[in-house]
Amino acid sequence: MKKLFIISAALLLLASCTSLKEEFQPVFTGKYKEPDKAQPAQMSANTTIAELAAMYNGKPWDIDKNIIIAGKVSTTDKPGNFYKSLYIQDETGGIELKFGRNGLYNDYLPGQTLYVKCKGLTLGMYGFSSSASYGGNGMVQLGFTDPSGEYETSYLENPLLIDQHIFKGETGTEVASEVITESQLPGKNDTQKNNRYIGKLVTLKGLKYANEAFVLLYINSNWDKKSPQNRVFLSPSNVASDPTAGITTWAMSKAKMTEYLTSGRWDAFRVGSGNTYTGETVGDFKGEGSYPGFEKAAYSVSQYFKMGSKEIQIRTSGYCKFSDVEIPESVLSGKSTIDVTGILTLYQGNIQFTVNSIDDIVIND
Amino acid sequence: MKKLLTTLSAVLIAITALAQSGGVKGSVVDRQGRAPIGDAKIVLSQKGEEVARCASANDGRFLIDRLADGMYDMLVTADGYNDLIVSVTVDKGFVKDMMFVTMTASQKIAEVDDSSFTEFDMDDSGYTDTPTILYGSNDVYTNIAGYGFSAIRFKNRGYNSETQDVYLSGIRLNDAITGYSPYSLWSGLNEAMRAKETTMGLEPYTEGLGRYNGVTNIMANPSSVRKGWRFSALTNSAMYRLRLMGTYASGELDNGISYAVNVSARVGGNDWIKGIYYRSFAYYAGIEKNFDDIHRVTLFTFATPGQRGAQNASTQEVYDLMGDNMYNSNWGYQNGKVRNSRVRKTFEPVTVLRYSYTPTTDLEANATLLWRTGKNGYTALDWYDAADPRPDYYRNLPSYAYMEEEDYNRSNDEKYEWAREMWTQHNRDFANYQHLNWDRLYNVNYNSPDGRSKYALEERHVDQNDIHLAANLKWRASDHFTLNGGATFRWNKTENYKVINDLLGGQYYLNIDQFAERDFGANEALTQNDLDYYMAHGEAQKIEKGGKYGYDYYANVRDARIWASGEFSFGRLTANAGFEAGYNSFWREGLLRKGLFAGLDDNGNEIFWGGQRLTNYDADGNVISSKGKSDVFGFFVWNAKAGAAYRFDGGHRVSANAGFLNDAPTFNQAFVSPRTRNTVVPNLTTTKTFSADVNYQYNNGGYSARVTAFWTKIMDQTDVMSFYDDTYHSFTNFAMWGIDQRHAGIEIGARAPFFLKGLTISGVLSLGEYIYTSNPIMTQTMDNSTDVLVSNEPVEYWKSSPVYKKAKLPDGTTVLDQNADGEYIIEKEQKHYVPSTPQLAAEIAFNYRLQSYWFFELNGQYFAGSHLDMNPLYRTTIAVAGPDHVVTPAEIDYMTAQEKFAPAFLLNASIGKSWYINRKYNFGFSCEIKNMLNNRNVKTGGYEQTRLINSAAHNRYYRFDSKYFYMCGANYMLNLYFRF
Repeated sequence: MKKLFIISAALLLLASCTSLKEEFQPVFTGKYKEPDKAQPAQMSANTTIAELAAMYNGKPWDIDKNIIIAGKVSTTDKPGNFYKSLYIQDETGGIELKFGRNGLYNDYLPGQTLYVKCKGLTLGMYGFSSSASYGGNGMVQLGFTDPSGEYETSYLENPLLIDQHIFKGETGTEVASEVITESQLPGKNDTQKNNRYIGKLVTLKGLKYANEAFVLLYINSNWDKKSPQNRVFLSPSNVASDPTAGITTWAMSKAKMTEYLTSGRWDAFRVGSGNTYTGETVGDFKGEGSYPGFEKAAYSVSQYFKMGSKEIQIRTSGYCKFSDVEIPESVLSGKSTIDVTGILTLYQGNIQFTVNSIDDIVIND
Repeated sequence: MKKLLTTLSAVLIAITALAQSGGVKGSVVDRQGRAPIGDAKIVLSQKGEEVARCASANDGRFLIDRLADGMYDMLVTADGYNDLIVSVTVDKGFVKDMMFVTMTASQKIAEVDDSSFTEFDMDDSGYTDTPTILYGSNDVYTNIAGYGFSAIRFKNRGYNSETQDVYLSGIRLNDAITGYSPYSLWSGLNEAMRAKETTMGLEPYTEGLGRYNGVTNIMANPSSVRKGWRFSALTNSAMYRLRLMGTYASGELDNGISYAVNVSARVGGNDWIKGIYYRSFAYYAGIEKNFDDIHRVTLFTFATPGQRGAQNASTQEVYDLMGDNMYNSNWGYQNGKVRNSRVRKTFEPVTVLRYSYTPTTDLEANATLLWRTGKNGYTALDWYDAADPRPDYYRNLPSYAYMEEEDYNRSNDEKYEWAREMWTQHNRDFANYQHLNWDRLYNVNYNSPDGRSKYALEERHVDQNDIHLAANLKWRASDHFTLNGGATFRWNKTENYKVINDLLGGQYYLNIDQFAERDFGANEALTQNDLDYYMAHGEAQKIEKGGKYGYDYYANVRDARIWASGEFSFGRLTANAGFEAGYNSFWREGLLRKGLFAGLDDNGNEIFWGGQRLTNYDADGNVISSKGKSDVFGFFVWNAKAGAAYRFDGGHRVSANAGFLNDAPTFNQAFVSPRTRNTVVPNLTTTKTFSADVNYQYNNGGYSARVTAFWTKIMDQTDVMSFYDDTYHSFTNFAMWGIDQRHAGIEIGARAPFFLKGLTISGVLSLGEYIYTSNPIMTQTMDNSTDVLVSNEPVEYWKSSPVYKKAKLPDGTTVLDQNADGEYIIEKEQKHYVPSTPQLAAEIAFNYRLQSYWFFELNGQYFAGSHLDMNPLYRTTIAVAGPDHVVTPAEIDYMTAQEKFAPAFLLNASIGKSWYINRKYNFGFSCEIKNMLNNRNVKTGGYEQTRLINSAAHNRYYRFDSKYFYMCGANYMLNLYFRF
């Protein structure tokens, strides 16, 4: 009995030798070698950005052709004015890639060439308005399909989806901006197809403050952001006597917002969307020394400037690092003009301008 | 108590009525080293009828005389040893001298220590999950529950593990800051730490009063280590691959000196959870001198230097995608090698000096000094302004793209397919999506223009300096009264800080607070983790490898107590009463001035920078400080207990105990955000506990049983946690107080011989109800500013949640039913349970031991009624109501219920054998196969995330999925040993 057991145990041991070898694989606990630097992708484009943009025909297009575009990264989300997306540009124009991830500048360096295999992505427009009075084109973008119908494209977000479509090429020098004149600015129905500056890094010179600001506040950002009950437009059309709402910074951080709200500075602004006001005002939401209804959030601000006769909105995120930087008094008073470098975009046919950093705004004395 | 019983029962108890001249005598000894075993119970029976019984004396000797000629079965039982049954023949009226009756130590129990448990990475969740480790005595229940229930992370009587008092050499060593039992300090030193004394429940201990969840005192002195050489090699497929251990103990030499050494190494990974590994070593060395049996001086030191990888919990979605409930998101490949981001690195030497004085056999006095010091680090990824590197981050999952319920507003089914693809292709091309992508982290750092690391590995330190002084006295005043008493003092200073462990290819890490930067980025001074450095240098500090950053503070604890207990004995009745009183105080001492909470400068003035005042004040007008000493919080603590026992003829014993405790909260339960400031929980108070139990024990003729009923009420506990709150879009601190619990239940353990000689059947049952009995009060503050978000609100659905009557619609969907008036129908209030332990645990085991030293065991276990740890946020009206602030039955039904885990059945088996060579060398093995049915669906714990999802209609919140830990599938442990 005992012998039988020992023999069978020995046999079992022998039989499991191979699996034992697997079983006793040592765990590496030594010093890990630093990984190699990633090698740049070797690809080439078969389509220009302008050609791609021209393929947009008024509704989102789920790209089913083998289109590859290439462009250098012209923006950075490091200071936070660009968020979850970046622009690339070639000779013919620039286009926004809707990544939907934070800290893109860590992986996609300014000046680095990116190749985009467009098949499987969606080409769509953001910010189009058909309104006869103020409407016009927005921007043609590359993103993913959006079945919710809320926007024409959605963010890519998924790492696999991104890595299968966007390839990192050589790093290079940062994109140099092109100085353009008033006449080179796009018209309200232009796209990259007919204006080669759209979506690119350009410099506009001699801008004069237009004495007008625009902010969209939400009473509670956990509520429906489209509901008029939840919206307050700080704009000349709300309180005509207060076209700048007293805002003297490029944008408003959380702290700045709280400061303005609690000062009672905006109490007269009416709640509502467009021209439909609910009858309430910001002041109605005042609590004990604060505005508890208002979400303590940061907000984007559009400061309006004039380039000759054309209106330029400089739009800046409240979450960016220079949100609370004061616009110099000499600019606000119209004494000084500014030169700005940033991405030229259209929103409902109007020119919206976004800078990468505060250094892109130069004050002319 | 135990010693007293020993003395009493050393006397012959039962005698046969017939006057006979035959008998049996001998000496009960340890198989190893022939050390005598005192208080071994010896029962003689004939044809199943008990004939006589006795207990061995301290020198192991026993004698049963006046026996008739014939064959007897002799059953020998002793604490910590396997039962032994031998046949004895008495003939011709002689007293049969059996010389040595050798007993084998019950090997199994000794293998339990904290290395039996995977380190659960609960760090970011605000929860803790430490099981109770019960050490065996001769008690059937403790024996089985202590080892057999460890895989399910059973908590004895549902009590938190910090209620269990763990003593080392007479010093209570539960962590000063958290209260946890510090088993990891000596794990891997099984031989040196084998000798233990234990009490159960409320029983007082002789070197300390103890609380209500038993005392385990690990002797750890060299003379208690078994004499001789011992070597063992152990391999195990659930934790680490290999353990090698060697021990030598001299025993007491002629000159009164004993010394002992124990070393071990535990290395390797396991079959089930990748990333979990050990690289731990352990040493113990001690020397003891006995001066004429009156004075005894002991000095020993030990530590367990090494590192071990930790396991992380994931959501069921992730487990299902990976097809593996043991998926661990903590690791990834670096250059093709598995690297875990969460590694515990410890080196905490403990040194003990003890002096014992025994002038007479009735008096013993001990004085002990214990010092614990060293380093305890725990690595984790840290990142600045870069994507969350965790592979199972919720935005990487299919559910983030698409949910069937439209109200989630997640409708992108094509993106869902991409995410599914990413998670279900299990090959190396996809490994970097399913596990940490170290290569990418390095590349990001390589790309960082001036070498600033965006990803780094931090090492969080909790470095203790813990000094204990204890003196105690045991005085046997008379045959009827024994007095125990003593005094203890504890001095603890624990430094909490973090260092850069690895810059992952970068050159430095910047010492700023990125959450502060998000909210107060405009003022650079506010974002500083070290404002003093910033003000002196005009820029944030650049941290190199090994440099401290982030936070740095001391937790200080002082604790002084005196205690006394008396044991009375009148014939069959014994009684005890004890009292302890003391003072516990603690405070925080910040070593860094954080920009957000600058406080006052060293001269007591407000601090200004760039024209702005940095000093800020709380709602009561007090300065909020990060640096310097906090208020000292002091509490009078006391503990009173009493018990009585009565022994009946035939091995029956009945006992009852009761106790009341007034305990201080721990440092970690008191400070709201100790990493950043001196603020404590409002209404800080002591925890009050009342506990009582009644017990019935039976021990006779190889039959042994215990039935215990217990009832415990714990009141006024506090808890703190910090988490990102989606309703405020901010990192917040959540403090909760007035948490009450009630633990009531029964414990049953029984063992009996079963048909064959050497075969026994044993069973245990732990059935209880461990519930929350109060709705605590909470306050929530902004971590960045201490702004009060919610103040003094009840956690409305903490102790229970309503269960609504449901109805099924014709289309198959379920809705909440309404009565004729349109009112929703509440069927009952569902109680909420103390989590992470089964409310019902049962085992039936068959043990078969042969004279040839083979042993076999087969056991089946059943666990039920385990619940998930609750997140208090989901039980507040705010979270239930949603953004529209309207509470509906559907929301209550969805948000407040507590998850109950499915019951589990496990089958385990063991086999072992030992051989003697020349009566000197002993060689043997034991092999255990656990979870033989390979059940991989047993949840052992987990937690609820604290995040909320806003509904499409903006009228309610949805929960994030909960995260779980699962038990390993079938696994084995094989131990080979060699002793001489």
